[in-house]
Amino acid sequence: MAEKTVIRKATIGGRSFVLRNRDVMRALRNVEPEPIMSHYVVVGLRRFPPKQVISAVTGLDRADFTTHHARRTLMRLGFSAGRHGAMSRASDANAQQAPSASAPERLADRLRPLAGQWVAIKDGDVIHAAESAQALVGWLGRHGQHADSVFRVPDDELAATGLAPL
Amino acid sequence: MRLNFREIPDPGQQTIRARPIIDVVVEGLEIAPQACLLDSGATAIRFGGYVAELCGVDLSDAPEKQIAVGGALVTARMAEVGLLVAGGEDAYSWTAPVWFCDPWTPGFGLLGLTGFFDHFEVTIASYEERIELTPISP
Repeated sequence: MAEKTVIRKATIGGRSFVLRNRDVMRALRNVEPEPIMSHYVVVGLRRFPPKQVISAVTGLDRADFTTHHARRTLMRLGFSAGRHGAMSRASDANAQQAPSASAPERLADRLRPLAGQWVAIKDGDVIHAAESAQALVGWLGRHGQHADSVFRVPDDELAATGLAPL
Repeated sequence: MRLNFREIPDPGQQTIRARPIIDVVVEGLEIAPQACLLDSGATAIRFGGYVAELCGVDLSDAPEKQIAVGGALVTARMAEVGLLVAGGEDAYSWTAPVWFCDPWTPGFGLLGLTGFFDHFEVTIASYEERIELTPISP
């Protein structure tokens, strides 16, 4: 996740923009991530398709630019990027800075920041997280997605153990 | 059917302990199989009440009782529902009484004796972090 303010000039779809990482985060705050087909960027702990982000921030039609252009633009703003299905791959941005960051990251470790949230898992990856089971299943239905598993990431010992009722 | 343990994070711990958690489709809600802990210490199958809501299970006239979960009393209501577990080439479906509980603090369902362990011969090989399920003919 980006922390300090980063400003970059970018030409996208033949138009010039001045983009700030904070503006991107603000613009995406109330936006529901669409399903990840291949590439994604991480904005505020959530994964978005790069084209969804650039379209939301610039207002451009998604047909006006490519996924790779969107991804590169967002990486220059400091956002991490990855590829669906490459669950063991560290973010491209981090990998460039720290070789050790390319070590495989376990799903359980990636779930830690999502404590208390409902998650949908598909092919060993988190495809969506939501504040309630209803919101999560609603998202799956709206986007025609099938999860392998849904559960709430434990945020305390009771949630983690279940403490069997007799 | 052979399944692997599932790793979920322990709150406040850096260590990760894989557990016998499997995914169960409840009442045909295939887009969202519910993660469930195999729990031979539980007498029955228990889910959060939200699962009944998601699956369209009517609990309005359901048998109801109070049970203790983690030192707190919760209201549990029972319905016979269709369940399905799949792994590899195999899939098993069966009908079982399930208690839907409110409030529900665990992050997953619990598969207990009645409705689960009396439908399957279950091997939990903790050292190898694997589970084997063999359905039992009634």
